[in-house]
Amino acid sequence: MSAAGSGRRSAAVGARTGHASTRAGGSRLEADFCVVGAGAGGAVAAAELAEGGARVILLEQGPWHDPDAFTARPPEMLGRLYRDGGQTATLGSPPIALPLGRGLGGTTLVNSGTCFRTPPHVLERWRREFGLQVDEDSLAPCFERVERALSVAAVTPELAGANAGVARRGAERLGWSHGFLRRNARGCVGSGVCAFGCPTSAKQHTGITYIPRAAAAGARIVPGADVREVLVEGDRARGVLARTGRGRRVQVRASAVVLACGTIHTPLLLERSGIPDASRQRGRNLSLHPATAAFALMDEVVDMAHGVPQSFFVDQFASEGIMIETIAGPPAYAAASLPLDGAAHAAAMASYRHLAQIGLMVSDTSRGRVRTPGGRPLIRYDLVEADVAKFRAGLARLQQLFEAAGAREVYLPLPAGVPPERATARDLKLMGFHPLGTARAHARATQGVTDGNLAVHGVRDLYVADGSVVPSALGVNPQLTIMALATRLAFRLLGREVTAAPHRPEEEKSACPS
Amino acid sequence: MSGGLQRFIAAAPWPQRAGLRLLLALGRRPRGAALLGRVPLLAQLARSLVALGRYDEPAVARALGWDAAAVVARGRELRRREGRP
Repeated sequence: MSAAGSGRRSAAVGARTGHASTRAGGSRLEADFCVVGAGAGGAVAAAELAEGGARVILLEQGPWHDPDAFTARPPEMLGRLYRDGGQTATLGSPPIALPLGRGLGGTTLVNSGTCFRTPPHVLERWRREFGLQVDEDSLAPCFERVERALSVAAVTPELAGANAGVARRGAERLGWSHGFLRRNARGCVGSGVCAFGCPTSAKQHTGITYIPRAAAAGARIVPGADVREVLVEGDRARGVLARTGRGRRVQVRASAVVLACGTIHTPLLLERSGIPDASRQRGRNLSLHPATAAFALMDEVVDMAHGVPQSFFVDQFASEGIMIETIAGPPAYAAASLPLDGAAHAAAMASYRHLAQIGLMVSDTSRGRVRTPGGRPLIRYDLVEADVAKFRAGLARLQQLFEAAGAREVYLPLPAGVPPERATARDLKLMGFHPLGTARAHARATQGVTDGNLAVHGVRDLYVADGSVVPSALGVNPQLTIMALATRLAFRLLGREVTAAPHRPEEEKSACPS
Repeated sequence: MSGGLQRFIAAAPWPQRAGLRLLLALGRRPRGAALLGRVPLLAQLARSLVALGRYDEPAVARALGWDAAAVVARGRELRRREGRP
């Protein structure tokens, strides 16, 4: 472990005990706020609450990951950084792989770092259909605050690499709307392995941004704590019960509890805790932004893993629910997803340096459900015909984009002989990276698990700050939306207005891109 | 099987872990692969697993222009030099 890494860890983990006492068989901690989950929502809420002067305990089921142990080798890093080795999947037609990060930083540790604000038309829908009092103006300070904290800036063409160059050339020739993505990165050198642990710590995931801030402000960070139950007394949440990796019981007593276990696990914890659900919506309304990707063989050397994997977007068809974004990775990653067999696969991989890859994701109207028979999450999600139609259209456009860019061959993720226009749900090879909606916010207790302030309906002092509250698919990558909502929640809990100004000007100034 | 692939499979929950090991064993043998061919989804999974392991081998990846060790070394050096976390 490097000196810097060691110092950061000691600052972030177990920084302050607050009020702690040891009892037979376990320990008891006290705080103003207990936050469960250290990903996009939980880390932000914990840091803002702690910096606002509250006593905070942040519990995270996963470990702290030492960047010195990152190897840039996909199989090993999938096994280490992802929940269940990245092998979470939905049941349904078609089955969909749903990789989720696990550890301090949550999925922000392994995502592509893409940052979009919530589209205005989505906020309008939330007001109209879900009764939520949110709009661009009221959320703007939250977004600005998060973007400053994470050094969000557009990728430069040089850093984006040749894979983005292919997409850009195609989009320009077709006259399609496009641009370079904004990302939370600082000092990125294009290592090409955002999804497998950034070896330069350039990606500003919450594990190296908000969590150290929380610790510096006095929050106690406890990795390896598996929260089993929310403690409710009368109609108020009063803490949680957790087990550590060594089997010790930890009871946290708090004036309020903020759950941020992620869209798959937050509804399960609510259910396990016997929290009432008058809406009967808990675990339902799961959207995923199902996604797929195509490859193409180009004349030029692409070296897709040299540069930022997700760096360029085409939003020409966003109004149809189709977003095109580049994606890339090392040979092992490409080989596992290249839709070819046998000799054709080997021949294409022999030309790996000339392979380009572009993905598409669909703003889905399909809705799934999370349940927990036998203690493990069971995720059911079936793609409805309207979303299959989006994939048909999207795949045809990916082919068009590659051909416009001069591809020699295009490899669509479909069975041999099935053209995009004839694809069925079962023909599609999908992944989902953005689960949302299983504790959806709705102003009415009969329609939502949480209200417009992200408080759980029917129980006081219990809040949710992760993707599960997001009531509809966004059509764009959701981490910034989740972080902005968590910021808004933290300031409301503190009884203060959100300010866009950085909390610590000298530190934030150096973090801002020039 | 490479250490990385072992770790990947070991991280899966129990029923999947057993299934992946079986798929990998079948996918590496011509007869097994032919058997899997009757169930396209499983055949695809087996091929992906075999490919994930094969192209993760440093010598194979280096021949394709990807040197994971060099990427990691550059990252460590940058973090050390610039005091990154």
